[in-house]
Amino acid sequence: MSAQVQAISTASRPPGPPAVGGLPGTVLRLHRAALLVWAAFVAAVIVWLLFVTQVTAASVRAVEENDHCDPARDMCSVPYAAYLYSRAIDHAGTLVCYSFLAVAAFAAGSLIGRELESGTARLAWTQGVTPTRWLVAKLAVPAAAITFGGTVLVLAFRWGWAANPDWMWGDSWTFSDVFVALGPAAVAYALCALAVGALTALVLRRTLPALGVACAAMWLLNLVLEHLRDALWPTRTRTSAKPLVLPNDVWEVASGRDADGYYATFHPASHFWPLHLVETGLVLAVAAAATTAAFALLRRGTA
Amino acid sequence: MTDTPTDRPEGPADGRSDGRTEGPTDLRTDGPTEGPTDRRTDRPTDRPTDRPTAGRTEGPINRPTPAPAPVPAPALEATALGKRFGRRGRRALQDCTFHLPAGRVCAVVGHNGAGKSTLLALAAGLLAPSEGTVTVLGTTPAAARARVGYVAQDKPLYPQLSVAETLRMGADLNPGRWDEVTADRIVAAGDLDPRARIRSLSGGQRTRVALALALGKRPELLLLDEPMADLDPLARHQLMGTLMAQAAQYGTTIVMSSHVVAELEDSCDHLLLMGGGRVRLAGEIDELTAGHTRVAVTADTDLAPHTVVESRTTGRQLSALIRPAGPLPHEWRTGTPTLEELVLSYLRNPEAPGLAPVPDRAEEAAA
Repeated sequence: MSAQVQAISTASRPPGPPAVGGLPGTVLRLHRAALLVWAAFVAAVIVWLLFVTQVTAASVRAVEENDHCDPARDMCSVPYAAYLYSRAIDHAGTLVCYSFLAVAAFAAGSLIGRELESGTARLAWTQGVTPTRWLVAKLAVPAAAITFGGTVLVLAFRWGWAANPDWMWGDSWTFSDVFVALGPAAVAYALCALAVGALTALVLRRTLPALGVACAAMWLLNLVLEHLRDALWPTRTRTSAKPLVLPNDVWEVASGRDADGYYATFHPASHFWPLHLVETGLVLAVAAAATTAAFALLRRGTA
Repeated sequence: MTDTPTDRPEGPADGRSDGRTEGPTDLRTDGPTEGPTDRRTDRPTDRPTDRPTAGRTEGPINRPTPAPAPVPAPALEATALGKRFGRRGRRALQDCTFHLPAGRVCAVVGHNGAGKSTLLALAAGLLAPSEGTVTVLGTTPAAARARVGYVAQDKPLYPQLSVAETLRMGADLNPGRWDEVTADRIVAAGDLDPRARIRSLSGGQRTRVALALALGKRPELLLLDEPMADLDPLARHQLMGTLMAQAAQYGTTIVMSSHVVAELEDSCDHLLLMGGGRVRLAGEIDELTAGHTRVAVTADTDLAPHTVVESRTTGRQLSALIRPAGPLPHEWRTGTPTLEELVLSYLRNPEAPGLAPVPDRAEEAAA
């Protein structure tokens, strides 16, 4: 049978681009608006980071050099100006991290849910595209856009975050959103949201419920991992007879005093990458499981 | 009809039309709207090889296996087919067994909820059966996907695309099969602006685009679920003509569900009457109407041993639609029912005994 199918496709296909060429093009055309919004978002975050690192930084420097600062009108305190600067940088991190919620809403709603609810998925499935190939294209095209855009966002944020390390007074790598936005976990969360959104849409087959459930599920996953985060890599412990003073850049997990003296359990800054990569791996595992379940569900329901 | 089918360009599938020139010839001489009727009456139903579809076995599709099939694979064949939604849910379809030879134009009629849409969706490979099997063009619905066209009842299309982009999608998703001329012509006949968004179209215009997509892939089997429901009479007539011309030119098998029985009488040669998720009546329309008799007798007549589909007593007269079990007494006044009379009688009498092939007969046909 498969030989026969092979024969059909080779006999009826003209020389030129392979048959799969048309499907990604169709997916792109269908979701042009979403792609433009995503590109605009990436651009906006980059512009914001440029603005903060250039314009806001100039005002901090002005305070630092103490010229043009009128104490009657401005807060002429370097720590306060630096605090505002670091908060502005971290806003970008918040957007980069939680963009996965928008991806979940898109995947469950516009990408899959609406197609199943309105029946246009069936239109595609009777236009010579198997349900499996349809879902592959529906996931692969956005996944490519997410991976590319997400990588750009992470690199931009890392650059902005490291531009003026002396002024990052209101910031720490342990902040839940900064932690995610500083590396591939941000991309992993967005890819996971794509898979979870597709799965919920295939389970519920209705746009709005799927959209809500997918966002809630991703928010919950993020919350759970945030709670478990400090346990994803072995901590270090330091004990001392005198009260401990840890460096500023460590993540203190626990500290106190027992019979032997003072102790502190913490992650040094060098634990960022192990912690980050373990979390990335966990999120990608959830993404893989959701993708597998989505394909299994689709195959079971269609011939 | 805008032009004769022979004006079509030789597409990549032109090998399929070998040995099928009689279809267009019939049409050209008789006019498209009368073609289907002629096909029905002229053709002996038990000789599948005289159909244009006989050429299909020599088309590019079966070239790797040159052994000539004496009988072309049936377009659609169901054996004990059933579909249940949810584990304990409603049975939309049960124990469906029938067999539709290739090249026929088949009407699927029945009450709302009789299982018509479920049957078409199963044949299109959009649903997996809960029990039984369905064979499409000699293979599974999944393997036949590229050769089957389907238009769902609510004509789903992407609202954000324009008409031209929708047709471009058809070309993109059906590489090597897409018949741009046919698709463009169907859309152009409706005076549609190619740049118009689908969301701005009326229901009837949307139907036209949906049919253009389905016909553009030049299917061997076309499954249409209430295709004409929201078309005005003129567009209905015109699109029906296009469909029938397509069927005649390429030997396309058409299966279409409809509530308008009179509309089917002109164009269909095969009937599938469904009720309660089962096939109640299946067969060539000529054979079915010939197998039934309208009788008018006195009210005290015993109609046994004939099978009574419907009977009504008016005063001292009994009118009935029966399936004769043998020769009828000469004193009975008899007549052959029309398709509409036949269908309505069965629909009015859901308890009337059906006449669908039993599973072992279908297996014979498959062997």
